Amino acid sequence: MDWNPLGYKNLYRELFRKHLQRQEELLKKGNKTAWFFSFAPSELIYVFDIVPAYPEQYSAYCASRGSSLDLIDESISSGYGHFLCDYFKTTVGSIISPEKATKPLMPPPDFIVDTRALCVAHHEMSEVFARKFGIPKYTVNYPYWTEDSVRNVDELTKEAEWVDPYYVSYTVSQLKGLVRFLENVCGEGLDEERFRKVFEISEKTSKLLIEIARLMMSRPTPGSQREIADLVFLGFFVLGSEYALEFAEKAYSTIKERVKKKEGVSNEKIRLLTFGIMPWHSLALYEYCEMKGMNFPLNLYVNASLHLSDSSKPFESMVRRSLHFTNCSYDLLECILKNAKRAEIDGALLLENTGCRITSMITRPIADILNENLGVPSLILEAPQCDPRVMNIERAKTQIEAFAESLM
Amino acid sequence: MVEELIEELYRNYLTKSYLRGYKMDGRLVIGTLCNTVPEEAIHSCGAIPSRLIGSSNTPSKIPSWVCIYAKGVFESAIRGEFDYITGIVSSTSDDTKIHLYSAMLFYLKPERHYLIQLPYQKDGDAEEFYKNEILRLCKKLTGSDLSEDKLNKSISIYNRFREFLFELDSMRGEEKPKISGVEWMKILLSSTAMLKEEINKYLLKIVEEAKDRDGVGDYRMRVHLSGNDFFNIELIETMESMGFAIVSDDFCTAGGYYPGFAGKSLDGLVRRYLSQSACNLASENSLKERIEFIESKVSSSNADGIVILRDRGCEVCGHQCPFIMEEFRDIPTIVLDVDSGVTEQYQTRLEAFIEAYGD
Ligand code: SF4
Ligand code: SF4
Repeated sequence: MDWNPLGYKNLYRELFRKHLQRQEELLKKGNKTAWFFSFAPSELIYVFDIVPAYPEQYSAYCASRGSSLDLIDESISSGYGHFLCDYFKTTVGSIISPEKATKPLMPPPDFIVDTRALCVAHHEMSEVFARKFGIPKYTVNYPYWTEDSVRNVDELTKEAEWVDPYYVSYTVSQLKGLVRFLENVCGEGLDEERFRKVFEISEKTSKLLIEIARLMMSRPTPGSQREIADLVFLGFFVLGSEYALEFAEKAYSTIKERVKKKEGVSNEKIRLLTFGIMPWHSLALYEYCEMKGMNFPLNLYVNASLHLSDSSKPFESMVRRSLHFTNCSYDLLECILKNAKRAEIDGALLLENTGCRITSMITRPIADILNENLGVPSLILEAPQCDPRVMNIERAKTQIEAFAESLM
Repeated sequence: MVEELIEELYRNYLTKSYLRGYKMDGRLVIGTLCNTVPEEAIHSCGAIPSRLIGSSNTPSKIPSWVCIYAKGVFESAIRGEFDYITGIVSSTSDDTKIHLYSAMLFYLKPERHYLIQLPYQKDGDAEEFYKNEILRLCKKLTGSDLSEDKLNKSISIYNRFREFLFELDSMRGEEKPKISGVEWMKILLSSTAMLKEEINKYLLKIVEEAKDRDGVGDYRMRVHLSGNDFFNIELIETMESMGFAIVSDDFCTAGGYYPGFAGKSLDGLVRRYLSQSACNLASENSLKERIEFIESKVSSSNADGIVILRDRGCEVCGHQCPFIMEEFRDIPTIVLDVDSGVTEQYQTRLEAFIEAYGD
């Protein structure tokens, strides 16, 4: 057995087909289009029948199709900074020179929603996009959580022993402001029944996604990061949709079955934790590692995209979504240790995404905390997510192999 | 003499003698990372807020491509150069400042620390929220509640400081500037290294004496400098030696740091900090506000050109730069990437710029 993935490929294909079909139908009906970013409350997209587009996802798509390089260069030659996040550079490049971008382009937005649930960059880029299109935007300013505002967060569910109620209520008031904003721009009031239903779907889906991430920590590692990495699309963007729930149900039963049979993705030799945004241009790197017996039972980036949604407390759930460790001060990083122990990792492959301050500045602290607490060494690779020029894939393979040898 | 007073201040900035003295006296020195941190509140708690500025630029624990400011602060901190501080305070104004704060917490474990959650909106809810942030900040730093009386005294001291800087900044904009770019920068940097009531004594004399100066009239071109957390005196020196008169700037560490007086109350302080247009991102319409701020500086100083000192690692400048260039397309503008140090290439480009547009 060389490589034995879970076979989620067809499930993703079906998920995207249904997502695009919804887009088309709503576009035909003349519904409003909006651009959203990761960690935005995606449920509201389904409550208000919005046609969503996601600059991060579109940029990843351009990277996988090879057009991101031209778009990044376009952005830099237009005066934008070199060391901004690749998602911004790719998207702004596609606005400036749509002819160079991979088709279909994102539909032009009627409005933009940004949050500070992950990075200020979302706010920075939404301001640029809104100005370029001359459209309104709404910002939800989540706290960056610190020891003053949160205690003991579960790395997967984002449930916390304590969250400062003052910050929760301030954020909830902004989320309610977002609902009012959406009522205005979409020209319809909030349908309470719909709201309730969408959150019920979100809750069910979120539980299944969390279980999938838990099962991935089994021995041997049941799935490939080629397929698990894309779970972020569900966690970030389509949570609340029926097609996400359908996907999650099937994906969960597949992985459960696999774990029951103790089947792994490959002949496991070492188990690695990984963190950082996938280099979308070189996803085959994971496959390559797995074929050599280096499996990834724990992907902290994917886990960050998940949270336990609670339909009885929808607004608090939207706040909970922001309690991922990448939005918490580094002194709270110990929350990653529980799953690192549970997954019995031998080492960590950390990706430093050039231009992304969130994933890059935290990589060394992660490496240090794993080393100090578990004696687990890390390999840090510079890997801009949409620009393959910085990350030489052959060199990366050699580095990973040398690292793996040192672990065996 | 103005020159001597400024040199004395600057020597103190380099040695941090005042800050070390405060620490020896048992006072709390709090390192701040952003001009959105309400220094008056920290001051009113009996502590000394000091904006941290680093001297090193060789990163080890943070990525090499982040801005010069963050690298400098972090590496200086790791080397123990900020041994006089007891705590740090930052705000959520940009990702770099958030994660710089986090990294400092993780590696340096300061005794006291607080991260101000900055509201991006400017409505009543935001004012209320920011007010609470100030109250929490004081409680966290000192264990006691903010005293409005003490706060009002601190506000008076800071308003006086801002008045002095306003006067000096206006003197830079005169036809014959009475304060040079280097002097201005030295004063501003020095203001991070002592209590404002102490520097006010110096500023009073500097303002009085500077008024009697003849000013410099033999420059070739008046320019506004645009950038962010900038502190490179060497570059300003180079420019002045080439014939540029640096008549204004919008740096967070200089021309963008001091504007805006606070009303004498906690509410007044809140409004001052939420309304300062010099701040880069802490608002819903930061781009518009930043452009308006630069416009006001350029027009009041009669600058003939703009030199954008772009740090390619600065996320704020990285997003805003094309809009600033577009907005000021009718004014001669040049962009210099400052993150690679002062190079010969800069000088050549600046020479060409002054040749084309200077006298
Ligand atoms: S890559 Fe980094 S900076 Fe860019 S959107 Fe993601 S978290 Fe934000
Ligand atoms: S504003 Fe720019 S220079 Fe200042 S800390 Fe932020 S990224 Fe760095």
